[in-house]
Amino acid sequence: MNDGATAMPAPGPPRDAAIPQAVERTLDNGLRVVAFEQRNLPLIAAQLLVDCGGAAEREEEAGLSAMVAALLTQGTTRRSATEIAAAIDALGARLDAGSGYDASVVSVSATTPAFGQAFALLNEIVRAPAFVSREVERVRTKSLSDLSLTYANPNALARLVAYRVAYAGAPYGHPLAGTAATLASLERDRVAWFHERFYRPDDATLVIGGDLTLDEAFALAERELGGWHAPGSARCTVPDAAFPAARPRVVIVDKPESGRTALSVGRVTIPRRSPDYAAAVVANAVLSGYSGRINQEIRVKRGLSYSASTSLPARRLPALFSASTLIDHGRAVEATEVTLATLRSLVDAPARDDDLVSRKATVTGGFYRGIETIDGIASALAEHVLFDVPLDELSRFPARIAAVDAAVVRSFAARWLVEDLFVVLVGDASRFAGELAQTHDVRIIPGDGLDLGSPTLEAGALTAPRLIDRDAVG
Amino acid sequence: MTALPTISASAIHVSPFLYIDRTLANGLRAIVIPDRRVPSAAINVAYRVGGKDDPPGRSGFAHLFEHLMFKGTSRTAPETIDRLTEDIGGFNNAFTTEDITNYYEVIPSNHLERLLWAEADRLASLTVNDTNFATEREVVIGEYDQRILAEPYGLLDELVNREAYRVHPYRRGVIGSPAELNAAALEDVVAFHATYYRPDNAVVVVAGDCDVEETFGWIERYFGRIPTPPSPIPRVHVVEPPQTEERIFTHRAANAPLPALEEAYHIPEAAHPDAPALEVLEAVLGAGRSSRLYTSLVYERQLVTSAWAAADLREQPGLFGLRITCARGIALADARAALHEEVERVRSEPPSEVELERVRTQIASALVRARQTNNGVAMALARATTERGDPAVVNTDLEHYLAVSAADVQRVARTYLTLENRTTIEYLPA
Repeated sequence: MNDGATAMPAPGPPRDAAIPQAVERTLDNGLRVVAFEQRNLPLIAAQLLVDCGGAAEREEEAGLSAMVAALLTQGTTRRSATEIAAAIDALGARLDAGSGYDASVVSVSATTPAFGQAFALLNEIVRAPAFVSREVERVRTKSLSDLSLTYANPNALARLVAYRVAYAGAPYGHPLAGTAATLASLERDRVAWFHERFYRPDDATLVIGGDLTLDEAFALAERELGGWHAPGSARCTVPDAAFPAARPRVVIVDKPESGRTALSVGRVTIPRRSPDYAAAVVANAVLSGYSGRINQEIRVKRGLSYSASTSLPARRLPALFSASTLIDHGRAVEATEVTLATLRSLVDAPARDDDLVSRKATVTGGFYRGIETIDGIASALAEHVLFDVPLDELSRFPARIAAVDAAVVRSFAARWLVEDLFVVLVGDASRFAGELAQTHDVRIIPGDGLDLGSPTLEAGALTAPRLIDRDAVG
Repeated sequence: MTALPTISASAIHVSPFLYIDRTLANGLRAIVIPDRRVPSAAINVAYRVGGKDDPPGRSGFAHLFEHLMFKGTSRTAPETIDRLTEDIGGFNNAFTTEDITNYYEVIPSNHLERLLWAEADRLASLTVNDTNFATEREVVIGEYDQRILAEPYGLLDELVNREAYRVHPYRRGVIGSPAELNAAALEDVVAFHATYYRPDNAVVVVAGDCDVEETFGWIERYFGRIPTPPSPIPRVHVVEPPQTEERIFTHRAANAPLPALEEAYHIPEAAHPDAPALEVLEAVLGAGRSSRLYTSLVYERQLVTSAWAAADLREQPGLFGLRITCARGIALADARAALHEEVERVRSEPPSEVELERVRTQIASALVRARQTNNGVAMALARATTERGDPAVVNTDLEHYLAVSAADVQRVARTYLTLENRTTIEYLPA
């Protein structure tokens, strides 16, 4: 057949995509309110960002901010946990609270006719949680149960170990979900203390938008949260601990019973506010995604794993870059060397400007898909708020990415993604530790001796991490 | 006690899907639903072939084949679909269920014609060689390792299917076994493509920024020229005989830190009139933190950390599953007894009007949320067409859910949640 239908057709002319515009006001109590309008469906969403998360916890209180957030939906001075659940479900709404390292977030979404009542519930759980003992104990038991699931999953465990190896005792080093020991020791009064001090309007931002006018959004914010008063106490601060110097080493957690070996390679890089952030996003995109170099080398060329990816999250302090995959125990050495070589390829065989066109399109396309839903728009705006990035940067993001060229990516990679990388392996050490030790500085931690509550990963171990000033890292 | 806030499900406006549905001369079903709000479009191509259609001794084959559909055609190199999507800011993926294999792309809308061409091209002229066949088989076995071996409780779905079905091919699951995958040969690939990948076994849906007639023109141009073989498409006609006594299977695993179980009950196919009532039953038991299982087992009695109910409705008779994971220090027998009390309660008395109104509101709200993305809209239409035979059901689902009465819920609970119809998988620490 030769009617032209066999030849690949060319794309048509592109149409411009619109990016929602946000408008901002500050209430008298100091609460920042960011509103947007998106009227295509009868849905409204809101996120309340509290400027205090896991990074502010002390080591011995790891898991505190997560427990506070988990308990918000579990009872207020007016309603029990089951009454809150009944109210939210009756509205067909979603109401969730959680904490990250940099912030705690309470979010709500509902259809337009249900939103007013759902938003009133958000206000109630943020301002009047009861922290009753029964729910504290139930959440504690659930958190401990969840920990045992996490520890049984090599991917999840490797991620926690990687954070400890990279940050040791600095902020972000301890597990957000806590450890069995810290969870057991968290007291109800300490939970209430954290909430009373740090959930405060002058350290919080409400992002609200969807099927309502900007005026309606600001009026709702004022109605529910206008009477919220800030305490006189000091605001949340993150301990000013220095970051350990990055250095090459291999840390193996010996878990012979795990079905496969999880691999994580990485180091601490830059914070979101860094002028290099756009370069970091593009460099990460060269590596990550289905057609990124890591997945091409690990999965597509060698079939070593079902998936391999890298991540470089946005964080207030220097963020962890990591490449991760899951492999057969017997191919862990090969996967480690391929991963290290692939990272090095960013310098040895750098991406050219031509190559970057597609990888930058991946970033920009993902950005546009992210803001296809109102929850996605709210999250994107919340990220700007959280990292003190001006809101109008949202619409500049595609241009910022477009401006990154090959030389910038190469120099970013040379500085941050090639040297001084740690390697974490969680799996059957007998299958790969010996071979790795021939060429790397290898440390083996028995699975039952692992203590994520210790900056050194082992209970009683006294080796102090080498320290350098954070400014040298940021 | 504070008054329960409430709204009526009828206050939630669930807009109808305004789609155009046509069938080409070669039997290909094409559905287009325009939405020009943003310059993006989703394509969803669903084939009526899934795990249950795997050749004998080749379990996991439909899923392995899904991977091979990315390995090039007589006109294109391997991974061309990735070049045409990822590289221009779009994305693509695919999945296989017991009943269908589904391929989808989301792309800037000026690339719509090109991706329709590419989907037609891999339907018409897939080529696979020994090298990429072998590599991709390794990837699929890696997927098995990741999802089944490394994930705590990863084998549970496989065990439920294997034990609940004795003769129906649903018993083999979708991902299959590494041994049978290793036994597959390149000739099997060619035969499988010829058997199931044909226009009259496919549904193509386009949702998003497009002109309706231009889009149908492209579909006709690229898909319309693909011939339909005269042979009939093989279909599974095996009927699972009614189960007559409870089955209990115990599995122990080193990476299962807490005792868990699933109880699965045979239920009818997705197009059966009882399906809406079974979905409402699912929501009464398991949707949200105010559902019966969560309220009783998680909040009040604190026996489990998770409780889950799902009406797994399939093209052919499926399973109603109840799944719990014990809290630390709780014996499985105690959690199971509490679960059985809830099963007995929903069998012995109808749900209250408050519960039903809660479920109706949850369902209507979920339907609104599902309309947020072109990809979600396209997938809903493709699955309705392949799994239930008609895209129009997406516009009548809500009225069917709203029409389910308390007596209907109790009736399906009494009919299907019976002891002799139950298969229990106990998943215990080693």
